[in-house]
Amino acid sequence: MAGHRLTSNAGAHAQARSDAYLGELAQLLRGPRRRRTQILTELRGGLDQAIADHTGDHTSHGRTDDQLVESAIAHFGTPRAIADAFAGELATAYARHTIAWYVATGPLVGIWWLLLSQPHPWRTGLVAVLAAIPIMPLIVVAIATAVGTFATTGGLIRWLPEASPDRALTATIAIAALTLAGDVTVITLYTQSTAPARPLAILAIAASGIRIACSLVVLRHATLMHRDSTPRRAQITR
Amino acid sequence: MTVGKAGPAEEVSKVLPMRPELLKGHLDALLLAVLEAGPQHGYAVIEALRAGSDGALGLPTGTVYPALHRLERAGLIASDWETVGGRRRRAYHLTASGRTALGEQRAIWDQFSTAVTAVLGGRAWPATG
Repeated sequence: MAGHRLTSNAGAHAQARSDAYLGELAQLLRGPRRRRTQILTELRGGLDQAIADHTGDHTSHGRTDDQLVESAIAHFGTPRAIADAFAGELATAYARHTIAWYVATGPLVGIWWLLLSQPHPWRTGLVAVLAAIPIMPLIVVAIATAVGTFATTGGLIRWLPEASPDRALTATIAIAALTLAGDVTVITLYTQSTAPARPLAILAIAASGIRIACSLVVLRHATLMHRDSTPRRAQITR
Repeated sequence: MTVGKAGPAEEVSKVLPMRPELLKGHLDALLLAVLEAGPQHGYAVIEALRAGSDGALGLPTGTVYPALHRLERAGLIASDWETVGGRRRRAYHLTASGRTALGEQRAIWDQFSTAVTAVLGGRAWPATG
């Protein structure tokens, strides 16, 4: 704090106002929890520094410490403005985080269905295995969408056109919907088939069932983020 | 965006009003340039921009912090968390890619500003054959 120390009362006031400000902001941020926590921690440091600079400004004669604290907070920007400004980055972070989850868990679900549909894939060959998976077109489209979204929202944006947060969220919704459709399809086909019941099917259906539940949650979150963020970003850029 | 935000009264007379759209496309280069000297946290970047532009570039928190996050996502800067006075702070620094990008942005700006100055200043263009 440059050349001026807040009185203990003013210090307590500053702390309380800072906590209230960040509490309000925390309510407005939408996105991955870890990213939101990092943003709030980072902004707390900035806000503390802003308050220290304002209260240490010797050109602000005649104003009380409390008034200087309020001025620093007002100068920092309203919680709504900060939340709106971060909405795009948080939406992109959510999209990347969710798509990475689908990519990582895809094989964990797919392996059971693969074993169920082709007990001896090494004997029948790759082409036969691929032919035995009716949802292959869905998988291909989902993987292509995931790769495209990752490429246009990460380090490659130095060379590739950057995907907007809205587009990243749309891709996330598409991947969740394709995965949901794929899981429902394989479960339906298996339960309606005349194939004998096998213990492996319990694992496959359970894995797909869990992913269906997760996909429904993702669809809800991503759709809400998409709906909430679009009008606000339009206002910012207007 | 409050570009050209006035500070003390005497600054108002010498800092001309600047439309926020003018910064479009140059914010990344400005942030990279500020970080060229060494690691800085978000608020220090805002202050460095203001001080370095003699008050002309008074960018709000909501512009600078998300832009820093985007630059980190692009791999042009990286960040480390440090503890100062019991508080955790995130300090940003340039990556090797960021230094390269800054050099490219400087070259583009030099070319652009020379061209615009030539037109606005009424100087003659070099003959094009």
